[in-house]
Amino acid sequence: MSSVLEQMSSAVSNAPAVLQKMKRNTGCRMIGFFHPVIPEELIYAAGIHPVRLFPYFDDSITLADSQLQTFLCSYLRAEWDQIVKGKYPYLDGAIIPRSCEAVTFLYQTWRRHNPYQFIDYINVPWKRSENAISFFAKELGRVKRDLEKFTGREISKDSLSSAIEVYNRNRELLKKVHDLRKSKPPFISGLQAYHVVMSSFVLDKREHNGLLEQLLTELSRRPQSLKAEVRLLLSGGCVIDSRLWGMIESGRAMIVADDVNNGSRTFWHFVEDRTNDPLEALAKRYATVPCGFNTSIADRFKYISEMITEYEANGVIFAINKNCESEKFVYPELDKKVKDKLHVPTLNIETDYLIDMAPLRTRVEAFVESLKV
Amino acid sequence: MVEKKKRERPAFNRSIAAAISKHYKDVQTNKPMAYLLMASNPLVEIAYAARIQPAFPENYACACAAGHASAGYCETAEAYNYSPDICSYCRNHLGYIYGPGENPPTGGIGEPDLLLITSSACTHYFKWWDALHEIYGKPLIFINTPRVMEPQSKPDFYMDYAMREIEQAIGEIEKAVGVKITNDKLSEAVKLSGEVVDYWQKLLEMQKAVPCPMDYSDLSNALFVLIVLAGTQEGVDLMRETYNETKQRVNEGKGILSKDEERHRLLWINIPFWYKLGIFGYFEDRGCVFPLSDYTHHIWGTTRMDGSKPIESLARKALEGELNTSVDDQIDKLLKDAKEYHIDGVIAHSNRSCRVLSVGMLDAVDIIREELNIPALVLDCDHTDERVYSDAEIMNRIDAFLEMLA
Repeated sequence: MSSVLEQMSSAVSNAPAVLQKMKRNTGCRMIGFFHPVIPEELIYAAGIHPVRLFPYFDDSITLADSQLQTFLCSYLRAEWDQIVKGKYPYLDGAIIPRSCEAVTFLYQTWRRHNPYQFIDYINVPWKRSENAISFFAKELGRVKRDLEKFTGREISKDSLSSAIEVYNRNRELLKKVHDLRKSKPPFISGLQAYHVVMSSFVLDKREHNGLLEQLLTELSRRPQSLKAEVRLLLSGGCVIDSRLWGMIESGRAMIVADDVNNGSRTFWHFVEDRTNDPLEALAKRYATVPCGFNTSIADRFKYISEMITEYEANGVIFAINKNCESEKFVYPELDKKVKDKLHVPTLNIETDYLIDMAPLRTRVEAFVESLKV
Repeated sequence: MVEKKKRERPAFNRSIAAAISKHYKDVQTNKPMAYLLMASNPLVEIAYAARIQPAFPENYACACAAGHASAGYCETAEAYNYSPDICSYCRNHLGYIYGPGENPPTGGIGEPDLLLITSSACTHYFKWWDALHEIYGKPLIFINTPRVMEPQSKPDFYMDYAMREIEQAIGEIEKAVGVKITNDKLSEAVKLSGEVVDYWQKLLEMQKAVPCPMDYSDLSNALFVLIVLAGTQEGVDLMRETYNETKQRVNEGKGILSKDEERHRLLWINIPFWYKLGIFGYFEDRGCVFPLSDYTHHIWGTTRMDGSKPIESLARKALEGELNTSVDDQIDKLLKDAKEYHIDGVIAHSNRSCRVLSVGMLDAVDIIREELNIPALVLDCDHTDERVYSDAEIMNRIDAFLEMLA
């Protein structure tokens, strides 16, 4: 494995320690958030380190049960469990988006149990009209003022533009890495790509950009050594269990493209037209992130069909977390379209926090074997 | 042994039953017909102003559950890959679409010409209408409004956005059905809706009386008028009839139970079990009534409607219902009302199908229990999918709660 990939993988596996060390060394504040619809640039421009919240896979859920019912998303329950157990001492607050109900209503549960100083809520629009973008820009302005109050310093237009530059560069580099999976065989595996993207949720974006530049240089010098007889697209919400990515790729298949919150949805779209009003530019960009909750079936199909074609995927695996109602609602019609219009075979598997991989492995292996390439 | 009594229900229930029956005939025959959702929904008045027949798949799910048809419809939906994790209102409807059977309850709900949706409830509805758009290929018109997490400090631009969304939707509806929605027509619908709301608010106020004049199932019936007939003269007439009869009952000291029989006044949190409405009779036989519920008191009919300001009234309606606010707002209202309605116990339905009303409920119950020093019982169940309901388990827990209450 490349040394840069090892660094990225290590940052993901040891995220709490990495973040704790960053906090100790720099003294920076840190704000957590869910889903790729929160404009991180706002947080970054406020001089705060944004941290995408995912649970660590090391503890069963116990304390969260007294606040969140078991019929809610287990990743969110695991995350909340770890928060109330004090496993995120580096966090100074959180910003919660209007997304699925479990996340949306965590806002006041979070505030009531008050583990951190700052809590805010962003009404992410569920449409992309001019009216919706204009509203979203004003909503971002409100959150900007809240962040300024919290830090005691203004977020200038220049600092926001500069943050957008850094984030756009990150997207550009992540897309370049993603594009290395187009070749036959791909230059990097799906699991490696998972670590590349997930590490961007931990490390400082400028540092991550440096690592990505090094990685691209390393990969351009490295001979292709991977095999991908079957090329898969992975679709779902938060597909954050690395064991699943590894298990899918343990045979003759490779994940060459993805449609997940912790994958392409994070970096696919760029912030454009930022010269005039950076907030409006951010609003336009973040309203187009194709998450399960805010995106129509037609738009989701367009997104994944372009990806299936461009990355020449032979099959699609829908890996949907138990109780993820948004993704589960989209799945039946989306699946039908992929099969009927693209004639691409699909498999649906249900994931869960700390799920046993063995039964899933049997189904994935049978699916991969069934694909004629 | 507790005696099971047959009690005389308020007469307005018969008039409402006739209106429900007429509504389900209308949705089969009147054109154009649109699917709408039952949240605090500004599109109901707009539909009536445009002479569009509204139909409500959630209400149909309640009717199917009451007729014990929902479990079969949910199973059919699951056979079409709609997971049991999805709200049973939605699965009930999708199951009906894919396999209505020979005799669907109420004769069915018909195929829509138009799909009208707001975001003032939950993501499920947005996804539900999007799936219907794929299935039927009919125009989908969507009003997106912000969720109001902090009602006390709601920014002005939230109202501006909601009003612009409504104006835009009116234009889209006019284009879709080829009908001009004049200011006069819209004002009239909003004015009539306001009259229904005024009667509704007075009706709820009377629930504070001892003995309680109506039980949860009576109020749930009256909700049909408040939601489905908002913006019609028929709705005003029915709600007036409901109000007048209830007022008379209060004046005469008539309750669901007599003053001597009424021993406990309980708060029900969340939606009832539509397939098991008889459960309220079980409570009545044991001296308990439900004068208050967030479902009947805080979701709908909370906005005063002004016919001279139709767009503003409709925007406020979209923003103010409990489904569009926050858990803290719900808790504040319940704490205030529990005192005014003389509540001495809480039954909370932790409803796996309704996340909007269930996420945060465990906190809400803890707070109410502590602040008011009253007992509370949480029941894990589902509003429509009868397969989730376990009679032995639920009744066991209720009996234990009632023993403690006594």
